[in-house]
Amino acid sequence: MAPWFLRGLRRGVVTTRYPARRDSSADDLPTPPRFRAGEMTHEIAERLAAVCPSQALRRDGGVLVYDVGACTACGRCEEAAPGVAAPGGQFELAVTRRADLVKRIPLRGEASS
Amino acid sequence: MSTSNDAGDTARAADELRRRVARQFRRSLHIRTLDTGSCAACEQEIRLLTAPHYDLHRLGFFFTPAPRHADLLMVTGPAVRAMDVAARKTYDAIPDPKIVVATGACALGGVYQPDLFVHGAVDKVLPVDVWIPGCPPSPLALLHGLLVAVDRLAAKAAQLSFTVTGETR
Repeated sequence: MAPWFLRGLRRGVVTTRYPARRDSSADDLPTPPRFRAGEMTHEIAERLAAVCPSQALRRDGGVLVYDVGACTACGRCEEAAPGVAAPGGQFELAVTRRADLVKRIPLRGEASS
Repeated sequence: MSTSNDAGDTARAADELRRRVARQFRRSLHIRTLDTGSCAACEQEIRLLTAPHYDLHRLGFFFTPAPRHADLLMVTGPAVRAMDVAARKTYDAIPDPKIVVATGACALGGVYQPDLFVHGAVDKVLPVDVWIPGCPPSPLALLHGLLVAVDRLAAKAAQLSFTVTGETR
């Protein structure tokens, strides 16, 4: 029998707090990547934008626009730029404003073309 | 009086109203799901919420088969145009106040670009209150999204930069 059932009968409180403890499967979940800002050059940004299948990464002048909401955590960017992109480890990403999910990462150095 | 101040006041009032509505739903909330062309991965994760491991009933959430009994509409998929009428009817059938949650990368506009068949994002069809990213969002991400929708947990993605500073690895 679930412990909250007895507790609920005893105290009259039907809901519990969340979470009781960190979930054991949390570390295994695929998560949107995070990027090493110091190594994000124009050339790498171009490569990442080209490899992203869900238009989550796109270059806008001197900025890499990263739409976390569009990311499917497929890992292609981590393969394309191993030192720069790595799993972010964050999956509880719900927001009440869509714009909160759009990140702008400034690029380093000069544009090559 | 400048327009930017007006916009700020409106945004603040809208935020306050959202919180008041969310507080009404804190103890018990009924969810209706709507699939607008999803691949069913999101549905699979949503179904997992009722499993003993996640057990969303302990948090006061319940699924209902009828939109008229629902408080919250959970929308998955990229909003295919063939679902326009059904989506509108479902939304209209839910009594006010109601919350719309866009669930998964398709619903947020990630996977499909707008074309003759899809709108590409749910917020082009329905007024969305909470966005849950993920492909598919895990049950833990969905639980967090639902608790954000009823204002029991804070949304934290706005504070995350998704970058690591530092010159060397």
